[in-house]
Amino acid sequence: MTMRLGKTTKILAAAAAIGLSGTMAAQARDIVWARYGDIDTLDPHRATSTLSLQVWSLIYDTLLATDATGAPVPNLAKSWTSNDEGTEYTFLLQDGVKCHDGSPLDANDVKYTIDRAFDDANPSVTKASWGPITGVEVVDPLTVKLTLESPFVALVPFLADSFSSIICDTNGEGFGTTAAIGSGPWKLESWTKGDKIVLKRNPDYVNFGKLAENKGAPYMDGLTISVVPEPQARLAALKTGEVDIAEPPFDDVAALKESGELDIVVAENTGQNVFWEFAAHRPPFNDKRARLAVGYATDPAMAIDLIYGDLSIPEACPVSRGVFGNDQEFCLKYRPNYDPEKAKALLAELGYGPDKPLETAMLVWTGGNRQKLAEIFQAQLAEVGIKADIEMMDIGTMNARVRQENENAEGKGSMDMMTWSWYDPDILYALWHSPGAYRGYTTPELDAMLEKTRVLTDPEARKAAVQEVFKVLLEEGVHIPLYTPGWEWVFAVRPEVQGFKVAPFVYPNFNDVKIGES
Amino acid sequence: MWRFLGGRIAMGALTIFVTTIAVTLLIHLVPGDPVQIMYAQSQGTTPEQLEEIRRNLGLDQPIPIQYLHFMERLFHGDLGYTIRGHQPVLDVIMQRLPNTVALAVAAMAVAILIGLPIGFFAAYKRGTFIDTGLMVVAITGVSIPHFWLGLVLLFFFAVELGWLPVSGTGPLNIVLPAVTLGLSNAAIVARMTRSSMMDVMRQDFVRTAEAKGLPKAVVLYRHVLRAGLVPVITMMGLQFAFMMGGAIVVENIFAWNGVGRMAVEAIFQRDYPVIQGFILTFAVVVVCVSILLDAVYALVDPRIRRA
Repeated sequence: MTMRLGKTTKILAAAAAIGLSGTMAAQARDIVWARYGDIDTLDPHRATSTLSLQVWSLIYDTLLATDATGAPVPNLAKSWTSNDEGTEYTFLLQDGVKCHDGSPLDANDVKYTIDRAFDDANPSVTKASWGPITGVEVVDPLTVKLTLESPFVALVPFLADSFSSIICDTNGEGFGTTAAIGSGPWKLESWTKGDKIVLKRNPDYVNFGKLAENKGAPYMDGLTISVVPEPQARLAALKTGEVDIAEPPFDDVAALKESGELDIVVAENTGQNVFWEFAAHRPPFNDKRARLAVGYATDPAMAIDLIYGDLSIPEACPVSRGVFGNDQEFCLKYRPNYDPEKAKALLAELGYGPDKPLETAMLVWTGGNRQKLAEIFQAQLAEVGIKADIEMMDIGTMNARVRQENENAEGKGSMDMMTWSWYDPDILYALWHSPGAYRGYTTPELDAMLEKTRVLTDPEARKAAVQEVFKVLLEEGVHIPLYTPGWEWVFAVRPEVQGFKVAPFVYPNFNDVKIGES
Repeated sequence: MWRFLGGRIAMGALTIFVTTIAVTLLIHLVPGDPVQIMYAQSQGTTPEQLEEIRRNLGLDQPIPIQYLHFMERLFHGDLGYTIRGHQPVLDVIMQRLPNTVALAVAAMAVAILIGLPIGFFAAYKRGTFIDTGLMVVAITGVSIPHFWLGLVLLFFFAVELGWLPVSGTGPLNIVLPAVTLGLSNAAIVARMTRSSMMDVMRQDFVRTAEAKGLPKAVVLYRHVLRAGLVPVITMMGLQFAFMMGGAIVVENIFAWNGVGRMAVEAIFQRDYPVIQGFILTFAVVVVCVSILLDAVYALVDPRIRRA
C-alpha cells in the first residue's frame, strides 16, 4: 500500500514538474495575449470580425500599411500609381519577400489573392470592399496592375487593411483551418478552435511599412493568442503572469493605472464611431427638429468621462479620428452640440412641454458598460423633457430591430446608440445611400453626394465631398456622433513587456516586443 | 428485455428527429440574421451584396428546403459549414466535445466523492444537529452561484496560492472548473442521498434488518444505501446529461474550451449550422444517457422491463 502511494506521489510530482516547466518555458520565450473570443477562420476571405482581422494581420502582410494617423503608406508595394480616371492601379512590389514556406512572394501571389476574392463559385465575404475590379494583370514578377470598371477610391485604404491580406499561392489543402501561408511576421504553428492560436516568429520577415521600429523579424520566439472570455479571469491571469497582454475589466482600469501594477495601452485612431440615429420615417423623428433636440440635449463629454474616464473621447464627425476626412473643428461647426435650452426651444416648437414629454425608445447594444452610459443619456434627455425608455439587446437583435423600426410606419419614436467602424468614409455610403443599411434616412441629394465620394481621385476634392456629406448628416440630425472608441481598445500589459503597440483600427503589433526580467 | 430496449431506441431516434425539426424552425424565429450580424458595425457592403452573400450561403432558400439540405448532408455524416469562417461544423464540435466530457466526468466524480458520504452521514445522524448542519451546508452549496464560487476559487488557488493555472484547457486546468461544478452538484447529491435513504428506512425490510440486531451502520450501508441509490443514480444521470450541454458559466470563467461556450456564441451570431449541430449532438447524448439509465434499471428491477 505504501509502495503504491509512493509511486502515485512520484507520478503526480513528475506531472506537476512537466506542467511547471511547460509554463516557465512559455514565459521565457513566448508572448501570451489573451482575448475574449476566438477567430472565425484563418482565411481572410471568409470572415469579418475584428478578432479574426487582428490575427490575420500577424500572419499575412498587406500591399499597403497605415501610418500612426491612419493614412495608407507603402508596404509590400513600394509604390503605386493610378491613371487619371482612377480605373487602373499599378503596384510595384518589394523584391526578395518570402512566404512562410520559402517560396517568393511576387505579383502572382497578389493575382492569386484577388482572383480568389472574386471567385464566382465562392467569392470573398468582403468582395464588395475591393471595389469593381475586373482584371488583375501580372506585368512582371514585381509589377501588378488592377483594372476597375469604375473609379473606387476606397480601394487604397482597403489595401492597407488585413481584409486584403496577401495569401501565398502555395496554399492548398486545409487552408484557413489547419494551414495559413502568408508572409507576415508570425508563422502559424497551430490553431485549436475556441482555445488558442500558436504562432512562431518568421525569421525572414522584413517590415516595410508597418507601425513598428523593428525593421526585421520579431524579437520574441513565439506568440500565443488564447481565449479567456471572462474579464476577471483575464485580470487574474495577467497578475499571475500566465498572460502578458489582455483587455482588463473596465471597472478595474483606473485602479490598475493608479497602482502601476500593469501598464495600460489605449488604442488610438480605431475608426470606431458611436452615434445617435433615429427611425426617421415616422413621428416624432421624421421632423429634424426632434432629432436635433436629442443632439442638443445630450452631453457625450460628460457622460463618457463618468463611465470611461479618459479611455474614450468625444467624437464630432460621422467617421472617427484616423479615417479620411475627419476634422473635429469642421464637424463641431455643424454638429448639434450640448445646449439644453436650444433643445427645449425646439421641443416647444413641436408642441412638447413639461406636461407632454416626447416619448421614445432608446435601443442600446449590451456590454462595455453601455447600460450605465445609456442611463446618463436618459437622465440628460429627461432634463429637457424627452422620456427615453432604454432597451438593451445583443447586437444581432439590435440590427434587426433598427431596420424594423425604420420600416414601421406606426408606433412610438425610436432612437438608437449605433456603433460602426471602418477605415474609410465609404462606410457612410453603406449607412445612408438608399436604401440604407437599416432602411433609414435617405434623400436623392444625399445619394448623389455619397456617389461623388466614391469616384473623386483627387484627395482634396474628395475630402471636400466627404465633408459635404458630414455637414448634411450633422445639420439634419441624421447621424449624431457621440464618442470614440466604442469597444475593444484597452489593453493591460505586464510591466516587463516592452514595445507593445496598437496600430490604427485596433491592430496590435508585437514586432517590437521584448520581455525582460519580471 | 431486447424488445424493451428496441422500443427505447426507436423512441430515442424519434426524439432526435423531432428535435432537429424543432430547432430548425425555432432558430429562424429569433430576430436578426447571420449575414447582417456578420457585416454589422463594419463594412461598406450594400444590401444587394448582402443578398448575394445570403444566396451563396443558401440562406435565401425557404426554411423547409434548408432543413432538407441539412438532413441530406447529415446522412452523409456532414454537418455543414459555419456561417462565420466557413469551418466544418463537425470539427468545430468534435474539437470541444472531449473537453466537455472530461469536465462533466470530473465534476461528477467530485460530486459523488463529496456528496454521497455527506448524504450518508446525515441520514445516519438524522434528526441531530449534525444532520441539520450538513443540510445547511448542502443548501448553501446549491445556492452559491457558479460565477461567485468560481471566481473565489480562482483568486484563492490560482492567484493567491499560485497552485493552479488561471485559465485554459489542460490536465491541471480542469481542477478548478471541476471543483466549482462538482461542489454544487455534491450538494444536490447529498440532499438526494439523504432523503432517499430516509424513505427507504421507513420500509419493512429495514425494520427486519434492524430486528436481526445488525449494527445501524451496516443496515444503512448494506440495505438502505443500495435501495436508496436508484433515484440518486437517475438524478446524476440527468445532471450528467445536462452538463454535457456545457456548463457555460464555468466554461467562461476558467476559459475551459467546451461546447457550451461555443453554443452561446453561435446563438449570438445566429450561426445556424453550429446551433443545429450542437442541438443534434446534445440530443443524441441525452437520449443515449437515458437509454443507458433505462437499461440499468431494467437489469436491476424486473418490474420495469416487464412494464
